[in-house]
Amino acid sequence: MIEHRRYFDEISLGEECESPGRTVTEADIVMFAGLSGDYNVLHTDAEFMKQSIFGERIAHGLLCLAIQSGLFSRASVPYATLAFVGLRWKFKAPVKIGDTIRLKAKVTAKKDLAKADRGLVTLERIVLNQRDEVVQQGETDLIVEKRR
Amino acid sequence: MRGTYFEDVVVDKVTVSPAITVTEAHVAMYLGVTRELPDGLPAVPDVLPLCLTIGLGWRIADPPMIVLAFVGLDWRMVRALRVGDTMHARSRILSKRAMRDVGYVVEERSIVDQHGEVVQQGRFTFLVAKRKEVSV
Repeated sequence: MIEHRRYFDEISLGEECESPGRTVTEADIVMFAGLSGDYNVLHTDAEFMKQSIFGERIAHGLLCLAIQSGLFSRASVPYATLAFVGLRWKFKAPVKIGDTIRLKAKVTAKKDLAKADRGLVTLERIVLNQRDEVVQQGETDLIVEKRR
Repeated sequence: MRGTYFEDVVVDKVTVSPAITVTEAHVAMYLGVTRELPDGLPAVPDVLPLCLTIGLGWRIADPPMIVLAFVGLDWRMVRALRVGDTMHARSRILSKRAMRDVGYVVEERSIVDQHGEVVQQGRFTFLVAKRKEVSV
């Protein structure tokens, strides 16, 4: 599959994109518990969670962080990324089974690096649920190739 | 519940987790859950080691902290992990701050490969349960 990739020079400061939504299912949470080994009752014990402030099981924060990373690849033409180097992130509200999350991302900084063939792109990312509440928010730093 | 409450969290305590070999199967499952496009490289997706490190925390001898919420993280990817590499985590409690019913705990964590090299590193902030006061 030949796919266009966007180089550092083709990415504009301030540009924004929004992803399609994705409904977080019970299956996603069960699979993620199996993959990560994180069986915290928050994610796996329906009866215990009925008594909690959440009232039901909630998705792993890192599951939704991983999902938004996948949503980003569906929101924008892929960057010519050489490396993902930094992540500053806040988990602001729970995501429950059946919630639909989507990503809004904005390029907030572009910097040249010591090596002339690459630059650093910082994206601000906001993950929203179906009620437009912010569930996660943060910044990611990517090293992106420059066009030769 | 079995676990470590906020009051018993010890600042500066270091914990070393058991190790896990990151396999093709982990990568396939991860890509299945996230629907990220595989890039065809032997490198492991960068968020996957972060996910695995949380699970490793449940396999240490000490009862894990009773985490009510993962508040946030500040994280650096130092270098890529490859399929077949074996990672473990080394963590140290940096600080704790008590609130009325709960407490914040900041932990510094490094993911280390089989050569002892740091692959990823940063800080996690957790909201941890306090012991319920016994009413008299």
